[in-house]
Amino acid sequence: MATPTLLKRCAGGVGLALPVALALALPVRSTLLPAAQSPEQATVRAENGTLIVGLLWGKGRSWTRVASGWTVVWQPAHGAWLVRAWVPDDGSEILWRLEAAPWLPGARLNAETAAVLTSAESVAVARDRVGRRDWIVGSRRLLGALPAGGDLPQPAVTLQPVVEGLLAGLLLAGAAARRLVPAVPARGWRHAVLAAGLTLLVALLELTALAGGWLQAGVRPWVAQLAFVSGAVFLLAVLVFAATRFPVSAGPPPTALLPLALAVGILAGRASPLAWLAGTAGLNLRLLVWAACAVLAGWLAGLAGDGLRELLRFVPMLRRFVVVALAVATVARGGPWLGVALAVLAAAAVGGGGGAWLAASVIWGWQFGCVWASCAWPEALWSAVAFLMLGAAVAALVVVRSSRPGTRANAMVSA
Amino acid sequence: MPRLGFVLRVALGVAALLVALAMLKGRGVSGQPEAIVRARAAFAAIGFTPMGEPTVAYEGDQELAWALERARPGPRGVALAGGQGGAVLWRLSFPGGGEAEVTVGGDVWALRRPAPSDPGPDLFPSVARDRVAAALPLAVHDPGEWQTERVQSWREGGHIWQRARFAGGAGQLPRGWRRELELEMVGSTVVSWRLSVHPLSTDLGVVTGRIAELRVLRRPAMLGLALLVIGVLLAGAEATAYREPVAITRGIGYGVLVAGCALAAGQTAVAAAGQGIVLVAVIALLPTWTDLPAGLARWGPAAGVLLAATVIYGRTFILGAGGFIPVTSLVTSDTSVLRLAGESWLPALVEEPLLRGVLPAFMVPYIGWWGAALAAAPLGALLHPLPAVPLLASLALEAVLQIELALVARVSGVSGAVLARGTCEALVRRAAFPIGTLWDRVALTGVMLGILLLAWPRRRS
Repeated sequence: MATPTLLKRCAGGVGLALPVALALALPVRSTLLPAAQSPEQATVRAENGTLIVGLLWGKGRSWTRVASGWTVVWQPAHGAWLVRAWVPDDGSEILWRLEAAPWLPGARLNAETAAVLTSAESVAVARDRVGRRDWIVGSRRLLGALPAGGDLPQPAVTLQPVVEGLLAGLLLAGAAARRLVPAVPARGWRHAVLAAGLTLLVALLELTALAGGWLQAGVRPWVAQLAFVSGAVFLLAVLVFAATRFPVSAGPPPTALLPLALAVGILAGRASPLAWLAGTAGLNLRLLVWAACAVLAGWLAGLAGDGLRELLRFVPMLRRFVVVALAVATVARGGPWLGVALAVLAAAAVGGGGGAWLAASVIWGWQFGCVWASCAWPEALWSAVAFLMLGAAVAALVVVRSSRPGTRANAMVSA
Repeated sequence: MPRLGFVLRVALGVAALLVALAMLKGRGVSGQPEAIVRARAAFAAIGFTPMGEPTVAYEGDQELAWALERARPGPRGVALAGGQGGAVLWRLSFPGGGEAEVTVGGDVWALRRPAPSDPGPDLFPSVARDRVAAALPLAVHDPGEWQTERVQSWREGGHIWQRARFAGGAGQLPRGWRRELELEMVGSTVVSWRLSVHPLSTDLGVVTGRIAELRVLRRPAMLGLALLVIGVLLAGAEATAYREPVAITRGIGYGVLVAGCALAAGQTAVAAAGQGIVLVAVIALLPTWTDLPAGLARWGPAAGVLLAATVIYGRTFILGAGGFIPVTSLVTSDTSVLRLAGESWLPALVEEPLLRGVLPAFMVPYIGWWGAALAAAPLGALLHPLPAVPLLASLALEAVLQIELALVARVSGVSGAVLARGTCEALVRRAAFPIGTLWDRVALTGVMLGILLLAWPRRRS
């Protein structure tokens, strides 16, 4: 009796692993170059490799993946100025830029920076003024006037207003649909979103490293970080509240489709990775952050999918055609929202609780694919593999346990 | 007993009015009539008689005023901002020619008369320096502290013009600040001068830095309000689908009032319309959500007077404890009574229904009314704080105000909170407008409305 069960499970395992293996093996051209160094390594390299960045500039507070390098931001606690440096992966010259508060006549440049700026071998005399430090180099005088440095590479504009507007509209439609079309709520999803929200809340202080856009010259870093944390807390509270008010309906997960969804997500992530996710790979709590983001984004994609599904009820004859056409258009257009859009379409195709499972699966794979394609340093890759294993384990657990009615795992899928 | 209750209510209303009057006493920008007199005297001293009555405008350099208060906390800083700091002043423009800027403290800050047809004999460069320096007492009280930095000469219109620049040290200003004067003569007649102040960068930096920080901190609060508005939209869709009773007429009336206030406060038509539409939805749906008491709004204005006292004396407390918070209010570009009314009531009409109505309505089932009220406090506290040192002092003062408003809402409903907030804002913002009974009346609108509501006979159930 045991042998056929074992064989079935082995076959199931192969069925789960095969699409994922195929998604990993297929050659895909990525839109981003993989980062050869971690943001931490880039920071250390900038601090050691260039003379402009010393203790004087405060500590490294943020990083962003830009083109083939990392843009790292340093700011002292008083916030009067900040330094941005772009550290390329290939070891070529580090570009930097210094910005000062508009009310400041200059900054207190250190001797090495002054030497770099004046191309002098040594700097003789420093003269401190109100709010600035001047350096006298022979017959020349370097005033502490800012900004200094060159232009840095800017992140590619990833805004797709049409796609973003559509997704926001579908979210609203989904929220309305879940209120107006009563269904038995799935408690497990509610708990999962709550747990994801709490996880991100715990990780918020670390996530401030990805909030470089909030840092400004003239604004103390703790205030900028407080503003970011406050906004994030409001947003997480609303998401948790929304998970209660617009719950996922109970329903069995489409077990046969979960591996396929995971594979589709991986392919989407590898093809059009999101640069922001490469930044998350530099966090210490990256695994927790990825898991929490996947649950939240999966739930949101399920919500938007329900909205699309309800909207398509107005054209029942064309429903499948519209979903397929949208999928083709999404893949053809690509872009950083590819994985999310596919998750929404997957949720719309299946609907209900199953749709949310499918969306979460696509998102999970997409996040893995993004990190796999955009990071090349070992820690990030090992963490990504662990994240994929975790996802696969959850999927396997759901597949196995959902086949047994009355088990505790079914709390995820039933009321 | 009903008569005793009526007497007590009227007594409360009168007491609130007396407290409000006491708070308004001496508040407001002074010196407008004196400015005209000083300007005429200054013009007379350079041999020009301006014709007609001038048009008067109020101008201010907000950051400079607060930087002076930062450097000299309390009334001394306020006096400097309106005096030698030249941060708050009246601009006078005479119809027959001649312009002047006079500080609210009565110092002539800048002056320009039309070029005279007979300006007297030209000064040749060799004697110009001494003659221009001799004109210094016309412009400053302490000519001995000033030094000539540079004198320029040029020929124009058949006469020789002189422009001299003087540096005057700190004077009464805080250490590290600098004064400058630019004076122009044509022939041997003074035609203009202008004083300017160069602040110490650290004093200015603290204030501008705090202003920038508060702008950053406002972002999450705006995000919170936007999320609330999205919630309102969804609730509106739900109410429409389930055909729930909605107070649409009341909502439209309220929305029109909000849009009118926004226009009076100087906002664009698009912003006014947007706020009006959002508030139509909020007020139309509010009766179906909130279980706060209705019909007790009459207590709101009296509570508003208490709130204003909290704000005004709270600032005094922060200053007394060694911190810094500006005493002078925000400088407005328009000092009309309509502007005062709009600026005072707009935050009350927009924010209170959202913070005291919508947020608790959504959150009460999960965290209870008080939990929701406390959740609204940090959101509201981030919207309008003043720059302070430490920054948390200002945020704490705003949080106290928000908690008091939650108490008011608990006792007298959302409408009571709106009346309390509007009354409070009007009394606090009154200080940024000129002294005059017209502005006083507008500032007291809420209090008078409160007396009327308190004296209004109660409907018997």
